[in-house]
Amino acid sequence: MPDANKMAAPAQNPDSDVMISLRDLRVSYGTREILHGINLDVRRAETLVILGGSGSGKSTLLRTLVGLERPSSGEIWLRGKNLATISDKDLDEIRRKLGMSFQSGALFGSMTVGENVGLPLREHTKLEDSTIEIMTRLKLEQVGLGGFEDYYPSELSGGMKKRAAVARALSMDPEILFFDEPSAGLDPIIAAGIDQLILELKQAFHMTIIVVTHELASAFLIADQMVYIDKGVIIAQGTPAEMKANPLPRVRQFFDRVAEPEVEQEMDYLQMLTAEHRRPVRR
Amino acid sequence: MELTAQIGRGVLDGLAYVGALTRLSLQAAYYAFIGPFRGRPLRVERAFSQAMEVGVRALPVLSVITFFIGLILALQGAYELRKFGAIHFVADAVAISMTRELGPLITAIVVIGRSGSAFAAEIGTMKVNEEIDALETMAISPVQFLVTPKFLAMILMLPCLTIWANFMGILGGSLFGVAQADFSFLGYINATVDALFLRDIITGLIKSVMFGMTITAVGCSEGLNTGVGAESVGKSTTAAVVISIFLVVVVDLVFTSLFFFAGKG
Amino acid sequence: MKIVERNIGESIVIDITGDIDLSSSPDLRKVLLRELKEKRTPRVIVNLAGVRYIDSSGVASLVEGLKASRDTGLRFALVGLSKGAREVLQLSRLIKIFEIHDNEEQALA
Repeated sequence: MPDANKMAAPAQNPDSDVMISLRDLRVSYGTREILHGINLDVRRAETLVILGGSGSGKSTLLRTLVGLERPSSGEIWLRGKNLATISDKDLDEIRRKLGMSFQSGALFGSMTVGENVGLPLREHTKLEDSTIEIMTRLKLEQVGLGGFEDYYPSELSGGMKKRAAVARALSMDPEILFFDEPSAGLDPIIAAGIDQLILELKQAFHMTIIVVTHELASAFLIADQMVYIDKGVIIAQGTPAEMKANPLPRVRQFFDRVAEPEVEQEMDYLQMLTAEHRRPVRR
Repeated sequence: MELTAQIGRGVLDGLAYVGALTRLSLQAAYYAFIGPFRGRPLRVERAFSQAMEVGVRALPVLSVITFFIGLILALQGAYELRKFGAIHFVADAVAISMTRELGPLITAIVVIGRSGSAFAAEIGTMKVNEEIDALETMAISPVQFLVTPKFLAMILMLPCLTIWANFMGILGGSLFGVAQADFSFLGYINATVDALFLRDIITGLIKSVMFGMTITAVGCSEGLNTGVGAESVGKSTTAAVVISIFLVVVVDLVFTSLFFFAGKG
Repeated sequence: MKIVERNIGESIVIDITGDIDLSSSPDLRKVLLRELKEKRTPRVIVNLAGVRYIDSSGVASLVEGLKASRDTGLRFALVGLSKGAREVLQLSRLIKIFEIHDNEEQALA
């Protein structure tokens, strides 16, 4: 059973099946540190769900994993390379094997769905247009959007946009698929459809899948492993069953949907009310 | 004390901004002229559609504006020239002010209004919608994909538009020449041709290429630096227009002085 | 990826070994289209027994071969599908569209 060493320090089992390893990962925006030393291993063909409230740093973690943010210190090992110190050229090489589905879909509005899905292939491969066209249609078929290649993103519903974005993420046959809030902004039925799609992809392609979400139902449905991030640190991790049984109050609060307690200490509150203005870090 | 510190900071920020623009232009130029020889194919069709948008669609409004400007120049010039009984020099005055200065400048300002703002809005919207991030995660350089086609379109189309603007301005001037200064149409054109040196046209065209680079760099850089939310796209667009006009005038001043001193020496 | 072609009577058997991926599938496509479009070989059999991995560009190339065979009225069959390859075709709902045999003998029969 792999469960036995789940909570052990990840550095102690150099598992050949590990796809991604994070070691004391720290990420800052300007002078503000968002992630304070994350340690994490993701195994091949495993679905990891990263949970956390708004502002917990879970999206920053995802952005760092795909190389959109550079860590201020620590290591991110992916395909034998450390993303923290990697050259732009090597990063691009790795990115060809990653697929990312953004929260908003991030489809290019000036291109049809088919052109969107085929774009990475046209940019990075020497495949013939006819081959790319067939691949595009196969991908759209796989996400349940067969026949929609000539539509523009603006003509699609929210759920269809998400599916099209997944098809685009799949276009280069990635080894790792990332999802940022896959069910955000969708009604429950459509959201369930997206969960189902993730499950299908996982079964079909044995892909490593990493999902950031705050939707509990969806998380428990798709996850093999879960981590809970709070204020930039992982405070709990384990299988869905282990997480359900986790006794930590902060985790329980999140799972039982308890409202944030107002202000814990009077001094903090006083400080907050009377603090100097800080200049915004980013515009 | 406080004031000098502020001025100092302002100058440093300005220099850093110009440095960033230069870097962006150099990257765009790399993908346009060197990248294709290093296995990064240039997508000509994207540059072409940008060129249509930047160039061809600007023609109607540019034609009307520069025609009027030429007419205005003739009227203003004639007002002074008349005093010296030299009204027939109006063709020279219009020709030289159009080709050396106003043709490139008016063209640049029209293009800023149409395309510089559109670049910032387009790229800014893509930034807000995570499309720029999506390009990066697909290992597609946003500069190569978005900026280079615009850069190419601009440095090709701005000189072309400028030549057209010169022509329309001279045409505008000829209207006055024929109506008020006893020129025949052909006579006016001949007088114009006699007045112009090739150098006048070339210096104008060199300026227009520089303007094109400036407008692209500012528009795209403002777009790429858009913050979050729809209102920041509006801010980027406004900033792109204001900064472009300012920098185009600065570039104009620099090059006009260069040509002036080079011509003297 | 390695491609070896064997002529058996009127038919040709194309043995493929290794990975069919984004970089190698154009070669597969070229061979298939040459046999089916230019040479008009009456029966083309692709032996995938030595294939460890086939990605969607490989599948798309096979689809192109199938399309060419339909256009020219020639026979095009796949043999020696690994479990993985079968799964990939299943997923793309192509398993019923291709002519698939367990081995070469059956395909030649």
